[in-house]
Amino acid sequence: MMQTSFIELKARERAIALLDQHSCREILDPFNRIESPHLAPQGIVPESDDGMVIAKGLFKGQEAVILSIEGAFQGGGIGEVCGSKIAGALERILEDNRKGKRVIPIIIFDTGGVRLQEANYGLLIISEIQSAIVALRDFVPVIGLIPGNVGSFGGMSITAALCSELIMTEAARFGLNGPEVIEQEAGIQEFNSRDRRLIWDTIGGKARFETGLVDQLIADDVTAFKQAIQSAISRKSTVPRTQQVDRFLCAINQLNPKVKSTREKIINFLSQPSAVTPRIEDAKTASRGRTWFAALTANEPSISGFPGVLVADVVFNRQPARFIAVVPNAANRYPRAVHGEVGLQEGWVLAKYIRQAIEEDANQPVKRNIVAVIDVPSQAYGYNEELMGIHYACAASVDAYATARLKGHAVVGVIVGNAISGAFLAHGLQSSRLIALNDSKINVQAMSKESAARITKRSLAALEEATKKVPAMAYDINNFYTLGALDVLIDDVNADVPDADAISRVARELTKAIADQDFTLGQRLKTEPALKGRASSILVREKIAEQWD
Amino acid sequence: MESFSFKYPAGKKIRQRAHIGVVGSGDLEILLEPGNEMYTVFNIRTAADGFQEIWKAVFERFVALNAIAAIVTINDFGATPGVVGLRLAQVLEIANQEQS
Repeated sequence: MMQTSFIELKARERAIALLDQHSCREILDPFNRIESPHLAPQGIVPESDDGMVIAKGLFKGQEAVILSIEGAFQGGGIGEVCGSKIAGALERILEDNRKGKRVIPIIIFDTGGVRLQEANYGLLIISEIQSAIVALRDFVPVIGLIPGNVGSFGGMSITAALCSELIMTEAARFGLNGPEVIEQEAGIQEFNSRDRRLIWDTIGGKARFETGLVDQLIADDVTAFKQAIQSAISRKSTVPRTQQVDRFLCAINQLNPKVKSTREKIINFLSQPSAVTPRIEDAKTASRGRTWFAALTANEPSISGFPGVLVADVVFNRQPARFIAVVPNAANRYPRAVHGEVGLQEGWVLAKYIRQAIEEDANQPVKRNIVAVIDVPSQAYGYNEELMGIHYACAASVDAYATARLKGHAVVGVIVGNAISGAFLAHGLQSSRLIALNDSKINVQAMSKESAARITKRSLAALEEATKKVPAMAYDINNFYTLGALDVLIDDVNADVPDADAISRVARELTKAIADQDFTLGQRLKTEPALKGRASSILVREKIAEQWD
Repeated sequence: MESFSFKYPAGKKIRQRAHIGVVGSGDLEILLEPGNEMYTVFNIRTAADGFQEIWKAVFERFVALNAIAAIVTINDFGATPGVVGLRLAQVLEIANQEQS
């Protein structure tokens, strides 16, 4: 039988090919000309749909919306407009489903992750997309396709990991950190980005399917995609991978991080429920996260058995609260996560203790507040991390934080140190309220300057120049503030050695943030700075609402 | 990136607006819309600087064959003149298709 390649189709053609004939209606089509306002000032030609197609229609007679990312435009990178198109559409689909109208979301991932030219917009909006997916999964299966060309990377690999069902071809790659970035950050001995065999054996479709990190591996054929989606829709729902905390933690305990593992070993680890618990020394490495965790909990000892993640239950302003911090541990088993990075174990341990709070409070009238103390230098860049699926570790934490909000826990974050990339998505960006210290050493960003320059093929100097034109590309907390996601910037605090006055001022702001008892991420678009800093995000959502029904 | 416009007298009507292409390597996006005036107007943004004369030659050739009253918006990511000509022909074909 003749095959029709799905991969070779462009984003719009892919959406039309999947939907029933003549049923497709595009929302925010190219003639609406809602393009990125951030590219032209950097000398980059924009696209009239910002590389994102929202197609409403019928899939085999059922109402569906296809969100198709154009990988050929800027590598499918998520900027403010295209990201808000995904988030805004998912929020409408959620609304429809909540009203009892069943609409199935199908996301076609063809993306390198955050669009580095719009850096922090990408991070913020990816967390909003993730929040919507976690909420939607309670109503309908959220179906993700990774057909190939770009594959799915970065923050969007964490997003894909949250889908109810993932469908991939052998020609696609799926991982948190791209090979070039791992090589740049960790060295060529950790990952050789020119070793194609190594790349495909680690993050290729076949490898992912065999390890059990995707559900269906199919041929590059339009009909095969339709059949796979249909079987995903009709399948009985199972426990999402991102909620299988014990299974993944067991596997991570069995892996020997000192040597390069293999796919066969990972498959074995994931299928063996009994596990050794290796002893992990606690070097108690100093960090801001550790300092502020101690300060805000009045030195309450951590209840987590894992020294890289601190967890304490305290009474904070007369209410129960669980404080959580990721901290460095020079003696960590995983060498790529000794500086406080969110690695495999950190992500899953975060998920474990957030879920524990949700379960313990399930029948309580008052749900404890959850406070993320944020000081994370990055996600862990390493071969074993990619092989074992570090995007799933980050997604597990995202899932847990978002679920906590849905179950009525206030989730707030306080940025005391760096808040970077996948680590920030996993620990911090699911907070409905964020506050931060106004400190010049704090960095908020999607990728180090060296890696960002390499990936966007610009010199460091050209990159520095661009950050002056686009606040979202800048690395400092004051520019981040202009994007509207922070409730407040707290001035005149010695972030490394805080005095009693500073601690009480931060505690007071934290109390205010908790008092709002907001369980959504909506506030970010309502703050004073957001009106300007997130103008396109607001506009996109308004236009989607106008055209939706 | 460079932006520029060209304008040629024209009078043929097109049936409907049409869109083709992506702003991807070696390709371009064209939005073709019926115009109210008797001109073909080309508005271009291109990633490849310094090729205005070549664009002009491609458009003159197109208008000589298809004097359509239309606004043509082009977002280009380094398409060759051959690709530009092909995409223009494609988008015009879609614009003149009978709607199903």
